[in-house]
Amino acid sequence: MNAVEMHGISKEFPGVKALDNVDFSINKGEIHALLGENGAGKSTLMKVLYGMHQPNMGTISIKGKDVRINSPIEAIKLGIGMVHQHFMLVPVLTIAENIVAGAEPKNGLFFDLHKAISEVDKLAKDVGFTIDPRKKVEELSVGERQRIEILKALYRGVEILILDEPTAVLTPLEVKELFTTLRQLKQKGMSIILITHKLHEIMEVSDKVTVLRDGKTIGTVLPKDTSANELANMMVGREVKMGVKCRSTNVGDKLFEVQNLCLKNGDRFCLKDINLYLRKGEILGIAGVEGNGQTELIEVLTGLRKPDKMCLKIGEHEISNNAGADEFIKSGIGHIPEDRGERGLVLDMSIKNNCILGYHRINRFIKKGIFLNNVIGKYARHLIKTFKIKAVNEEIHVGTLSGGNQQKVIIGRIFAQNPEVVIAAQPTRGVDVGAIEYIHHKMIEFRDEGKAILLISADLDEIKSLSDRIVILYKGCVVAQGVTDDFTDTDLGILMTGGKISNEER
Amino acid sequence: MGSLLDKIDIILISTIRMSVPITLAAVAGVFSARAGIMALGLEGMMLAGAFCAALGSYIAGNVLIGLLAGIIGGVIISLFHGILTIRYKVDHVISGIGLNLLASGITTVLLQTIWGNRGNSPEVNSISPIHIPILGEISPLVCVMILVVILSWIVIFKTTFGLRLRMVGEHPKAASTVGINVNRVKYISVIITGILAGLSGAYLSIDHVNLFVREMTAGRGYIAVVVNILGRYNPVGALGGGLLFGFADSIQLVLSGDNIPGQLIQMIPYIVTLLVLMFAVRYIRPPAGLGKNVED
Ligand SMILES: Nc1ncnc2c1ncn2[C@@H]1O[C@H](COP(=O)(O)OP(=O)(O)OP(=O)(O)O)[C@@H](O)[C@H]1O
Ligand SMILES: [Mg+2]
Repeated sequence: MNAVEMHGISKEFPGVKALDNVDFSINKGEIHALLGENGAGKSTLMKVLYGMHQPNMGTISIKGKDVRINSPIEAIKLGIGMVHQHFMLVPVLTIAENIVAGAEPKNGLFFDLHKAISEVDKLAKDVGFTIDPRKKVEELSVGERQRIEILKALYRGVEILILDEPTAVLTPLEVKELFTTLRQLKQKGMSIILITHKLHEIMEVSDKVTVLRDGKTIGTVLPKDTSANELANMMVGREVKMGVKCRSTNVGDKLFEVQNLCLKNGDRFCLKDINLYLRKGEILGIAGVEGNGQTELIEVLTGLRKPDKMCLKIGEHEISNNAGADEFIKSGIGHIPEDRGERGLVLDMSIKNNCILGYHRINRFIKKGIFLNNVIGKYARHLIKTFKIKAVNEEIHVGTLSGGNQQKVIIGRIFAQNPEVVIAAQPTRGVDVGAIEYIHHKMIEFRDEGKAILLISADLDEIKSLSDRIVILYKGCVVAQGVTDDFTDTDLGILMTGGKISNEER
Repeated sequence: MGSLLDKIDIILISTIRMSVPITLAAVAGVFSARAGIMALGLEGMMLAGAFCAALGSYIAGNVLIGLLAGIIGGVIISLFHGILTIRYKVDHVISGIGLNLLASGITTVLLQTIWGNRGNSPEVNSISPIHIPILGEISPLVCVMILVVILSWIVIFKTTFGLRLRMVGEHPKAASTVGINVNRVKYISVIITGILAGLSGAYLSIDHVNLFVREMTAGRGYIAVVVNILGRYNPVGALGGGLLFGFADSIQLVLSGDNIPGQLIQMIPYIVTLLVLMFAVRYIRPPAGLGKNVED
């Protein structure tokens, strides 16, 4: 008897058939991965199971019993818990409050905070997390927040845990820790559904994989009987080349140069004496463990934060330290932000409007201060087509697109404007392998036109396959830089964690 | 010397008296704001409360019935606001301002049709003061106000309902995914808002004075919105803010007659409002979901 059995599930949104006759099942004590392109319907399928969407057709049974799940409340009662792609936590409340809300321990009429704290403490110890339940969630890192989300589900005694792209925002170390936890939960008999775009993670941790494409089930396979390449083929429906190296053959003059960049936060240096340059026709990768100054570097180089000291040149043109972000855009510096929900898009606005954000003042889109609606609409449709964004039309809210398609809107917006230099932060975060291939291809094409890209990514493989040169950032300082192929994996590992290797300055 | 002490005494008593309607309305606003609903309709709820209280007292000749009627008046307007913003996802500002205009229009029309007078109602029975040591004769609603502040604080910060309320106001989606019935919490908070705002209005018409006067709230509902923010969406803070404005209101009493133009003196509470808006409110973080309508 399966823990969950979903049969013939169909779900339509206005204009899109998100799920079409999908079958899915999971056993007790199993980690089951769900794989599929952006917009394939993974999140939707899981939201159906969690009672957030009602299917148009199909049946669900839990432990052999047919059920209708009308709301998350009913899902929780059936022992189903979900950790969402976008965290569902209240930053100003404490960890304990976030975890117990909705199922609070009571003392007569009152909320029993002490009991909540001790219960959360015990729960955390059971799964080996060290947290202080009295801390507010806003003080936590992304990885810690995720643990709170997992605890939230465990607190409700779930037996079936859904994790929607839990690893997209984690550092490699945090991913390792998460997987240890998942294996431990599996030992206790829990069924875990894991959505991820990273094939090697699936190979590493899952017992079974189900692949979705265009809202249909393609099939279920065992990782041991397959390979990452085969999985990629299954989900995209064609051959995908992953991690191909493609070095620049035509490097020109210096195009972009940063000298003596210093940034202080209080008395502490976030960035210290950073010197780097980009030449025409090359991609420079920034390698480093997250939190070593990458975010600050991006913010300074895109005009979002004023440095304490810096000399920044693009071509012959010097950008003053007081310039605002619009000045940077005008000078030809495009920005693919790290966090698409926060900085990249206005989720409640249409795709059309998001396509011109930051470029909304250029002549093409306005006449005498008034937007040229037709021109913008046509432009947006052009982007949707060239960048293969899966959307019904250009008028719908960006927020209703699947995560990966949201990312493509940003990618399209920047590259279509033909900047000189692109600061690309996590350009493929949450994006499926097919789209990664496409975005990488775009970046290389852009580079080969004699432009330059500064690539910041938490994914070391991405850095290694795309960058012509690498700069390694540790505690806000450049500890080494050089040609990518001169560094071995071990070298990178040592340098990124503050170690030293001989002849590091190349 | 004696006259100075007298003045201090007058200011003290009247500060407390004037703070009652503002505090009650501000606490009313706290419940809405904590649930993510902007309570810009407080003025309308108070006005409806004041009118219905006078009407109830006039018809029944009984102040308790008057109070009850006032509460019902406040709840009617606030439920309207709730239905418009929760069910129909109308912009909170538009709904609030619209209801204020509606309440002002309806009370004026009814004043004319029921009592045949454009300016005010006839005198009705009003709540008689009780004697309290030190303070002397004082309205029982002052005690009610203090009770309301304490109880509200306990409800919001110490009960499970309060935790859910705060969660709904901060992140309604998060609340619904842990199985909290978001709309139910919102409606409950809207009703509490109506009760307290209606009570505040009733205080104006059948306690502070003993009749309904057209537009008698005189912007106190808007001031309460500011006090709500100034008090950091906390009932105890609302009491503090209420006392501040009660003080600003009561200075009028002592200053009037001292050769200063009356109009200038009457401006004091509004000037305080402006100052608070300019300097204090900036640093206060509202509940993250305040005034936002989420798609479900
Ligand atoms: N609330 C909604 N309204 C309209 N369309 C929606 C809504 N939610 C999802 N969709 C559409 O349904 C399809 C499936 O989306 P879903 O979010 O399930 O994809 P996904 O497989 O999770 O993708 P990703 O890997 O990018 O997160 C997409 O085409 C998306 O645009
Ligand atoms: Mg998804």
